[in-house]
Amino acid sequence: MDLILEQMPIVVNALNVGFIQTLKLFFVTLIGALPLGLIISFGSMSRFKPLSYVTKFFVWIIRGTPLMIQLLIVYYFPGLVLHNPIWGGGETGRFLAASTAFVINYACYFSEIYRGGIQGVPVGQEEAGLVLGMTKSQIFFKVTLLQMIKRIVPPISNEIITLVKDTSLARIIALQEIIWAGQAFMKGSQGISGAIWPLFFTAVYYLIWNGILTVLLGRLEKKLDYFR
Amino acid sequence: MKKLTALILSLLMAMSLAACGGSSDNKQESTTGAAAAEESDMAYVKDKGTLVVGITDFAPMDYKDDNGEWIGFDADMAKAFAESLGVDVEFVEIDWDNKALELEGKTIDCVWNGMTLTDEVTSAMDCSNAYCNNAQVVIVPADKADQYQDVNSLSDLTFAVEAGSAGEAEVKALELNYTPVKAQSDALMEVAAGTSDAAVIDSLMAAAMVGEGTGYTDLTYTVGLNSEEYGVGFRKGSDLAAALNDFFVASYADGTMQACAETYKVQAALIEQK
Repeated sequence: MDLILEQMPIVVNALNVGFIQTLKLFFVTLIGALPLGLIISFGSMSRFKPLSYVTKFFVWIIRGTPLMIQLLIVYYFPGLVLHNPIWGGGETGRFLAASTAFVINYACYFSEIYRGGIQGVPVGQEEAGLVLGMTKSQIFFKVTLLQMIKRIVPPISNEIITLVKDTSLARIIALQEIIWAGQAFMKGSQGISGAIWPLFFTAVYYLIWNGILTVLLGRLEKKLDYFR
Repeated sequence: MKKLTALILSLLMAMSLAACGGSSDNKQESTTGAAAAEESDMAYVKDKGTLVVGITDFAPMDYKDDNGEWIGFDADMAKAFAESLGVDVEFVEIDWDNKALELEGKTIDCVWNGMTLTDEVTSAMDCSNAYCNNAQVVIVPADKADQYQDVNSLSDLTFAVEAGSAGEAEVKALELNYTPVKAQSDALMEVAAGTSDAAVIDSLMAAAMVGEGTGYTDLTYTVGLNSEEYGVGFRKGSDLAAALNDFFVASYADGTMQACAETYKVQAALIEQK
């Protein structure tokens, strides 16, 4: 116990650095994937069939393969096959590659949630809008959008909480997020070696962050309650 | 409006598909180009101006000092080698399982991290001459150490070993029961948690991680199973391996290599370079 207390400051410091990487990846993924998901959902709902088929095919590939493999492909493919290591070996390149893989992956999941939300708004409302002489885009932004947002908050919250934990997959391309930072002490780092507890201690970070997110998303859901 | 959006989106899709197609065309051209370039990996590194060294945090070979600077026997030798080439050195922490991928993907230029020269390593990389000795040792709980002082006593134990490590090769050869785990440190955790009776890890690592003053005070090491050697790995066909061998010979001859080894207390394990 004394040993743990002695190690605590060094470990917490290292875990904080790792957790900042985790949070960076989390926010970049959300900022990229939320709008990209909407564009993909428009693509898969398009009445222009070729576009719809191509989009659905793409979503099938991304949702049908493990994110871990996608990370490996995004990071290593340019150097291995194209002989042009565009990401470089440094930390920034690894982060950019991880972000790219995460944004694409999560955008595909979000797109299906959006599609459910949009198609869940009764057709009658669109028809009523058309009768009133509104254009299609007016109907989408003024009638459908907010109702869709209300419907998608619970499933999106679910994905967001999963995303927090999925960021740990990025360690496969050696992005030094919090699990990496915790594991480093098992092997030996900064004078501490063979310490197992930091790895398990990382769970506390995830738990607290997910607690905060759950409260915030719960509040958002309440705010949107006036639709019913 | 909707048709326009659909058109734009389909154009974007078509373009991204075309981009994929385009890059596979490039691939064929660049394979021939790369074949020419791969004739001199040294020229590639010199052109780039940096030698990117793939490492893990592994005292006493590569680890961070209090200022966050990478030091250690391997790190210091890598710095000196890069200086002899006239390039900068950059240390990048990698996932050890992906070392060959990182090399071939050119995200790193060499693996210089107390790497045991196993058949797997030498078939995937072009390696330098061995520069350091190491052994695989058996880790058991300290209170049971008396019972397991020779190889014959190990037969009824269950082992945890790093998948693909030299330790795994040893327990396989002795036909012992074992579970492969992801890293040597995981193997230690298995023993500490009692989920395996014993583990097999590097002696250099065992010295640093097991016993008094470490996180595993209840563990100790007993039998040494084999001796093995460390080398530096480069891309297949790289001319840097030969350049490093020359550099090792020169720095062994003038004593700088021995001095560096003494700094990190690995001089006993050093192999003469000639």
